[in-house]
Amino acid sequence: MEEAITEQQPKSRPTLTDAPADFAALYETHSQAIYYLALRFLGDPARAEDATHDVFLKAYRKWGGFRGDSSHRTWLYRITINHCQNLRQSWASRNLVSNADDAVWEHAQSRTDSPLRVLEMQELGERIQDALEKLPEEYRLLLLLIADQEMSYDEVAELTDQTTDAVRGKLHRARKAFAALFAKTA
Amino acid sequence: MKHESKLTPREQQERAQALSPQSTAREFAAVEEVLRADAAQTPVPPAVTQRLNESIRQEPKPRSWWQRFTGR
Repeated sequence: MEEAITEQQPKSRPTLTDAPADFAALYETHSQAIYYLALRFLGDPARAEDATHDVFLKAYRKWGGFRGDSSHRTWLYRITINHCQNLRQSWASRNLVSNADDAVWEHAQSRTDSPLRVLEMQELGERIQDALEKLPEEYRLLLLLIADQEMSYDEVAELTDQTTDAVRGKLHRARKAFAALFAKTA
Repeated sequence: MKHESKLTPREQQERAQALSPQSTAREFAAVEEVLRADAAQTPVPPAVTQRLNESIRQEPKPRSWWQRFTGR
């Protein structure tokens, strides 16, 4: 019996031809998540490309020493976060909102249980970027990490050096703030 | 001079649909869903993979943990 034909063919995935097979598989599995985090965290496609390249090159150099104390995803995210935070620190003047503005987000006029409407999927990225840019850096990072279904609250807490309860509390405020800002981008 | 369309009305409609941006209105129940949808439609640019291939070609082969352990 023939297998059912799926409606959509899977998208071609990036292939590293010059790396050992295990590292190529690592890249194939995680590169999209790493690029996405870099893109939305940095807000610049060209810099996100550079960052993704640099992160995987660092990972390649450390690959022999990776002992599996954390998942591959968590390990790669840690390298990415350190890399991107270093980059952002060098453009500190671009950071328009500081974490000291938490009170503003606490009282954001938005309900997290109301749907977020998107009329055109093609505009989605632009609207998300607009909203993320206005969030404190910490909120932006937490939202991007927790949106990854492979990441648990515990792993996000470990990556961001705080307790799981702190992550939950901040995510509650981050969701409200994002929803309010996202609605304004419509 | 007036040019007559050689396309049938149905073909014209199909072409218009193909050229116009897809109307894909959606509602998301949670912030995470919006971000996941965005991530799913954001592929890694091929240039990244090409550059990484070139960079790796110039790197020494990584040593495995047992090579490091035995100092080989």
